[in-house]
Amino acid sequence: MDSKKWIITFFATIVFIGAGIIGFNFFVDPYGVFDNIGIEWPSYEMTMNPRAAKITYLKDHHEEYDSYIIGCSSTSSFPTEQLNEYFDASFYNMIMYGADTLDTEQTARYLIENYEVKNLIINIYLDNAVEYDWTRDSLSYQMSPEVSGENPLGFYSKYLFLDPRVSLKKIKDLRQDTYLQQGFDVFNAETGAYDKKVRDAEHIGNMEEYLAAYPAFVNYPTVEKSIDEEAVAGTLKSIAAIRDLCEQKGIRFMVVCAPVYQEYLSYFDWDAVEDFYTRLASVTPYWDFSMSSVSCEPRYFYDETHFRNCVGKMALARIAGDDSVYIPEDFGVYVTPDNAEEHFREAKQAVALDAEENTADVPVLMYHHIDEQGDDSAIITPELFEQQIAALKEAGYTAVMPDDLLAYVNEGAELPDKPVVITFDDGYLSNYEYAYPILKQYGMCATIFVIGSTVGNTEHYKDTEYPITPHFSFEQAQEMIDSGVISIQSHTYDMHQWADYESGRARQNILRWEDESEEDYRKALTEDCEKERQAILDNTTESSVHVLAYPGGANDILAQETLQENGFDVTFTITPGCNTLVRGIPQSLIGMKRYNICESVSVDQVLEWVSAARG
Amino acid sequence: MAFTSLSFLILVAITVVVYYVFPKKLQWAVLLAASLAFYCIGGGKTVLYVFYTATTVYAAGLLLGYFNGKKDQVPKEQRKAVMEQYKKYRQLVVLFTCLANFVLLYILKYWNFTAELFQPLVDRFFHGAQIPLSSLLLPLGVSFFMFQSVGYVIDVYRGKYPPERNYLKLLLYVCFFPQMVQGPISRFHELAPQLYAQRKLDYTNLKYGIQLAMWGYFKKIVIADRAAVVVNTVMDNPWSYSGSMIAFGVLFYCIQLYGDFSGGIDITRGVARLFGIDLAENFQRPLFSVSLADFWRRWHITLGAWMRDYLFYPLALSKPFGKLGKITRKKIGGKLGKIIPTSLATFIIYFVIGIWHGANCRYIAFGFWNGSIITMSLLLEGKYSAIKKKLHINDKAAWFRAFQIMRTCFIVFLGRYITRAPRFLTAIWMIKETFLHPVLPNLWDGTILTLGLGIMDYVVILLSVMVMLAAEWYQEKHGVIREALEKQGFLVQWLAILIPLLVLLCFGILRSDTISSEFIYKQF
Repeated sequence: MDSKKWIITFFATIVFIGAGIIGFNFFVDPYGVFDNIGIEWPSYEMTMNPRAAKITYLKDHHEEYDSYIIGCSSTSSFPTEQLNEYFDASFYNMIMYGADTLDTEQTARYLIENYEVKNLIINIYLDNAVEYDWTRDSLSYQMSPEVSGENPLGFYSKYLFLDPRVSLKKIKDLRQDTYLQQGFDVFNAETGAYDKKVRDAEHIGNMEEYLAAYPAFVNYPTVEKSIDEEAVAGTLKSIAAIRDLCEQKGIRFMVVCAPVYQEYLSYFDWDAVEDFYTRLASVTPYWDFSMSSVSCEPRYFYDETHFRNCVGKMALARIAGDDSVYIPEDFGVYVTPDNAEEHFREAKQAVALDAEENTADVPVLMYHHIDEQGDDSAIITPELFEQQIAALKEAGYTAVMPDDLLAYVNEGAELPDKPVVITFDDGYLSNYEYAYPILKQYGMCATIFVIGSTVGNTEHYKDTEYPITPHFSFEQAQEMIDSGVISIQSHTYDMHQWADYESGRARQNILRWEDESEEDYRKALTEDCEKERQAILDNTTESSVHVLAYPGGANDILAQETLQENGFDVTFTITPGCNTLVRGIPQSLIGMKRYNICESVSVDQVLEWVSAARG
Repeated sequence: MAFTSLSFLILVAITVVVYYVFPKKLQWAVLLAASLAFYCIGGGKTVLYVFYTATTVYAAGLLLGYFNGKKDQVPKEQRKAVMEQYKKYRQLVVLFTCLANFVLLYILKYWNFTAELFQPLVDRFFHGAQIPLSSLLLPLGVSFFMFQSVGYVIDVYRGKYPPERNYLKLLLYVCFFPQMVQGPISRFHELAPQLYAQRKLDYTNLKYGIQLAMWGYFKKIVIADRAAVVVNTVMDNPWSYSGSMIAFGVLFYCIQLYGDFSGGIDITRGVARLFGIDLAENFQRPLFSVSLADFWRRWHITLGAWMRDYLFYPLALSKPFGKLGKITRKKIGGKLGKIIPTSLATFIIYFVIGIWHGANCRYIAFGFWNGSIITMSLLLEGKYSAIKKKLHINDKAAWFRAFQIMRTCFIVFLGRYITRAPRFLTAIWMIKETFLHPVLPNLWDGTILTLGLGIMDYVVILLSVMVMLAAEWYQEKHGVIREALEKQGFLVQWLAILIPLLVLLCFGILRSDTISSEFIYKQF
């Protein structure tokens, strides 16, 4: 070919390939930098680049929000639910991982200039005194040119000339998407925060178990960072700029300083840290949560730097002055230039709360049927049952209800000296006939988990001909409730079926069938929860149904998360062992362990179990 | 403005279009405008240094032209006398121009280095005195445009050509944009006529320009930028690596350096070719050098040529060296006595080349290393020939050539330790480690996968280097590749467009960095 033809072929080839790549990347848009066109998947895009994707998301959704909280990844732990409640507003969480204060300032400015903003909260973390204007080449950290004011050509060309494999991965991931978040979609697009469903559905309790599960707290990674004067100056300048802008526009402005894990802090020069926080107070008064007893408790942290959402709730309750929520006394101080010095002198001395003060060991006993003929799995004779209850009473144990545990964890209420929780699964008539009078006699109480669909079945399993161990009726349940001795809670409405007696496919426990879609499963479980609640509340005077024992103990994260969403905040397994409740951590009430009691368990054994629980 | 940036490509594209659309008389002005735009975007205010150099050499050229012109006003027989009469003035003009430029270059590039070097001495004798440091920004390509400009003045002095009387045209010669970043150092009589020429659009120029630039981009972004990852990882902290890994890092540095530098030059020459301009070659397959001297004739050719023409010859032919020659011939005699002055001049040249590379002890050592080896081989040449004769070695035998090439590569490789180590003493330590504690298993136990590149990247580098070597071997043996390519059919020629484009896109341009969710999220 001659040269002219060569040139034409060359440019035609470039245009052809270029158009293909650009078009594909533009349409799939894995980083969410282009306007909402093509394949939209905000939680994925925010994971790829929160800075740009959130700006893109808000273009279509800004009307749903009137307030924002902005900052680095720790910002995510201030739940928008509580913010909305306390501020009577509609918050969006603008957490951008690795955000420095310049990112925060630029984002704040953009939001204020373009959208309605009533409240603006800025979260400052210790790292904001380490880096400022931290330029990172990665596509995951690029700020929208509309926000940064940088050259849009350079910005968009990076995303248009993306390796198409990155775009292709988004399409592949879309097919792998599940209800629970995975590594590729860690954000909740509607709130803007990290989606923490998985970690917030895990049981937390015993410290040793927690440290074994998260060894980073034991072998803490070395931190090679230090306070940088330029970063401090930059952060203070940015905060002052946001403050002035808010003042000018009549926006309610607030700065909060996120909790810093103590060991992380220990790698820094304390004087420099104190200097940073003190100087911040001279720019604006702020709520300081950086150093307190909370910083010294690993269970208040997801990992070595990120504090839990439940800690964020405590912080917001402190700001709002909500007395109904448990908050460690030294957690959260409103810092002004006047009290800064004194506050940080005290904060420096912060130590973990005494175990006595914020944890309680609670044993839970699990009974099923009571019968003259006991067995070594689930049946106990009335005599032995009475002996056990009497022995517990004798040994000074006080039976408590799940509500007492909730009050301890969430509100900071006290528990009796030697608490024990007594539970019965399935709702057998024998519970009414034998257990109820005995408990009443000894001044103890218990929770019975009934299967809604079998309440009152005295002869046959549901409407079949199959014989069944008799179950008590709602009238009998009501009588027990009236006495104050018994609480009726859930063992599911109908997810503890007997496979042999069911005509269709049986649900023997609350887990998802392998071939069932997540959507169908969650619908089924939700419906079951509603039916169970309806059945108990309609037929008795039980005040609320929020406690559940997993049928057969079977549970997983998806089930637990769905239950939590349906208002079940206390759940029990059949794993033997003691429970450690931690104040402020509602996860210490989920997946609680229970000792199974039957005829083969002696009185001494019961006493040994419950006393072992007390350490 | 990096060659690899989109803005550079846009600048080139706009300039090409405007260049061929503009009235032919003013085409050179388009190049000047583009050059100033390029320099201002990349160098900002330091563009003033370009004007400074252009002004000094312009004035010097005019003055020399004036003195040179004197001889034309007198009859032929008196010309020599007139030249002699004005020689002093002419020399003064050259001296002044050299000083005006090189002193500035010294201040910009070397002052802080010498200040730090002499500070301990000052501390000792003038207690508390501090040598002031320069905080001036180093202008883009300063060494290149100053050397190129001074070369022009010396040529005018030598009467090689008349001076350029249009200031703006000379300014274009000083700052022609494709060669601002890394040369080549062009000669006025070769470059200027091409810059000022009037041209019609020639598709062949466009084609060759694009082909050459693409080849350059391939070497730069596919090979060099990839190899750089390993180099940076190892050299940032050589102390954490075994000898074999250090050698691996240095080997990658050799690959990076050649890919980056020669690739950059190919882009430069390719871009210049778009305007029909042929820039001097700066590399001639240096990997096939049979000796270190041969290497320096093939590597950064225009710098070597500049040194030869404007430093080596004046030095070797100067009076002091003439005197030295007489003394050595008398006292030592023989062949050795004859070549001692040449060897000394050679040594000095390589020493200067070393320093030209940068202000650091390492570069001085690098100059010393090259100078010593080349001088030694000059001095020992006679002995070599004798040994070769004795062993009946045929100089032209393929195996001997291969031996020579490998020997040269090894010497160059060792030299690279010196230029890339964080400090000179570290370089010595690194060489020692390489030979004393190599820990060879590191080469296959997975250690190389911890240096920032994955297996795929190593495969890409390996294949690319093989393609590059094959191309160079073909050029060395058979000459220009594109001529062979032009004889092929449409499909092959189209594939020769498509495949390089795809390679550039997949392994260079398209970005695929994704953040590890492990890092940002830690499994919430």
